[in-house]
Amino acid sequence: MLLERCSITCIGKTLMMIVAIFLLPQRAWAAIGCTLTDPAEDLKYLYPEMTSYKEELKEFTRMTGGTVLFASLKDRLGSDLDPIYETYETPYTVYSVFKGTQKMGIVHGVNVPGKGGVIQVFLSMDPTTAEIRKFFFQRLESPAATQLRLKAFREQFEKMTLADFYKHDYYAAVDPHAPADKLGKIKPPALDATTRPDYDASLRGIRKNLILLDFFIYGKRFEPFFEKSKQALQRKNKTKG
Amino acid sequence: MRLSIMTILIGIGLMAHSPSLAAEDEDPFADVKPQPQEDEIKNKSSFKQFFLENFGFRKELMSEFGIDANQSMASRQSIGFEVLKKFSTATRTFSAINFQGRLVRRDGYVGFLNDLEGMDRRGFFFEYHNAYVDFYNVLDPLLKASYQNALVGRFNFRIGRFYLPFGLNLQTDTHGLVLQLSNERNFGYERDWYAGLWGNLNQHLQYNLYYMMGSGYDPKYAGQAGLMGGRISLSNQYASEYGLEGGVAVMVGQRLSPDALARSIAVAQHASGNAHVDTLRFGVDVRYRHAVPTGLVTWTSELGGGWDAPDGVFNQLHELSYLHASRRFGACTQFRWFWQNMSKSRDIDPVLALKSIDASVLTEITWYFRNDVANSNLHWIKLNAETQMMRQKGGVNVIGTLQYYLYW
Repeated sequence: MLLERCSITCIGKTLMMIVAIFLLPQRAWAAIGCTLTDPAEDLKYLYPEMTSYKEELKEFTRMTGGTVLFASLKDRLGSDLDPIYETYETPYTVYSVFKGTQKMGIVHGVNVPGKGGVIQVFLSMDPTTAEIRKFFFQRLESPAATQLRLKAFREQFEKMTLADFYKHDYYAAVDPHAPADKLGKIKPPALDATTRPDYDASLRGIRKNLILLDFFIYGKRFEPFFEKSKQALQRKNKTKG
Repeated sequence: MRLSIMTILIGIGLMAHSPSLAAEDEDPFADVKPQPQEDEIKNKSSFKQFFLENFGFRKELMSEFGIDANQSMASRQSIGFEVLKKFSTATRTFSAINFQGRLVRRDGYVGFLNDLEGMDRRGFFFEYHNAYVDFYNVLDPLLKASYQNALVGRFNFRIGRFYLPFGLNLQTDTHGLVLQLSNERNFGYERDWYAGLWGNLNQHLQYNLYYMMGSGYDPKYAGQAGLMGGRISLSNQYASEYGLEGGVAVMVGQRLSPDALARSIAVAQHASGNAHVDTLRFGVDVRYRHAVPTGLVTWTSELGGGWDAPDGVFNQLHELSYLHASRRFGACTQFRWFWQNMSKSRDIDPVLALKSIDASVLTEITWYFRNDVANSNLHWIKLNAETQMMRQKGGVNVIGTLQYYLYW
């Protein structure tokens, strides 16, 4: 009965519109991804001397070789990608912070799945050395939120780079107490077995964030550490074998 | 045998003196250096950077079918799009444009909560929703660097059509949802045409301050004074650290609202034929998110009171929602209540005067095929039931809505 009111011409027009919409180029939404809810205030807090900031949208779908790069994310992360949080279409927003014309910092956030829901891991980075300046959570839907937000825990990651995460892959397997293993020295907050997964998810979030920044901003600067870690582990495994 | 032992010893000696292998035993990364960085934007023209970067285009399909207790049925089908472009120089993002449009086909009407605007729109109708431009840090060109630093985020200018600065609407994207917040019922529309400033007051508070046309959907001027509206809300750090959002708001002035005139004889008489509704509202709102072992529970409340002269009005909305940690399943219940003092209308015409209260309870379950955290890719089926408890006009009803939504 409802359709009786709609003439064949109307249906035809609707179908044409639907086809036209589906034929439009696939581009992801610009203002979303893991964004700072209040960039000006947050960036000013991180960089008190800043005078301006610039937002840049980064999408695998629009990058040359984006599919290959996206596939390589899983290897570098060392775990499967989440089908909701970590899709090929997920957009990312990188904030560059300036004092006058001098670039003071880079801020970038990612979403990772936690036990209770979303964990948004943000890093503020040194633009030249690619070291972590500060690590903080925006959204943290976790029963362990209080412990994970402790400054004493978060401060331990300052000055670390993606290289430290890649190196840790080797040290954790071969020499868990190696003095050079910075990540291995991190003291987790007091958590029980039920909240421990959110600690692991947070570490995974930091690593993912650093890998994406290495792709988007730092020109895959730390790739030699990933390759070396992989080779060294393979060699060790062969020797054991 | 002697040869074999010699060979082994020589081999061990060679291994011990091999610089690379010896170094690897000590630290396999000792000789690894970061690779030089390439300039990622060297091949991009400034034209492309300015116009094509930070440009987004999203598509939307929405299909809704509704039925009420009187066996009336309705169909609302739409295809839509959303465009957002941010403009930047080498060192600053200074502007953003947002536009949402939909081609809607409506057959029948049962009063979907997310389509009250559609009451008078049958057949095909192209409609717009967001249509605004933001200019960030608008005073920067006039300021020295030290003042730019002090005022980062303080003065942003918005012009166009967007959510009213009242309640939680400004920080809630209700574009594809069936359950809505309270502004549409409170003012007759949830978006208006306006211009004004927004930004941070300090690290704890944000502000929105706008002059609104007071005309709702169409940018229409019929001699009304328009509305001044302002909202002061908690800054983002409270949402981040405590899961808490909230604010207070005020709206004052004149608006065009055929609904308000039709609802109250006293308001229509007060407007004395010019269709201007003298409006005052004070509001307070809060939303609290709390992680539980299996997901996220959210409480939302909006309270608003004031008058559509000469009638006093008061509305409240309370909502409890749950989202499973997998983000695949959600459930929600909402209570809506709107009261208007109709005593003056009853004094004028006791027969035609409407009742004072509209109240409903809504329940909804959602299955998400895709539910991106940042709302960039959404795909769901919702089943919603509205049980009307009291109506100002007509009898109570039960409305069932089945919605399919895809946003990508």
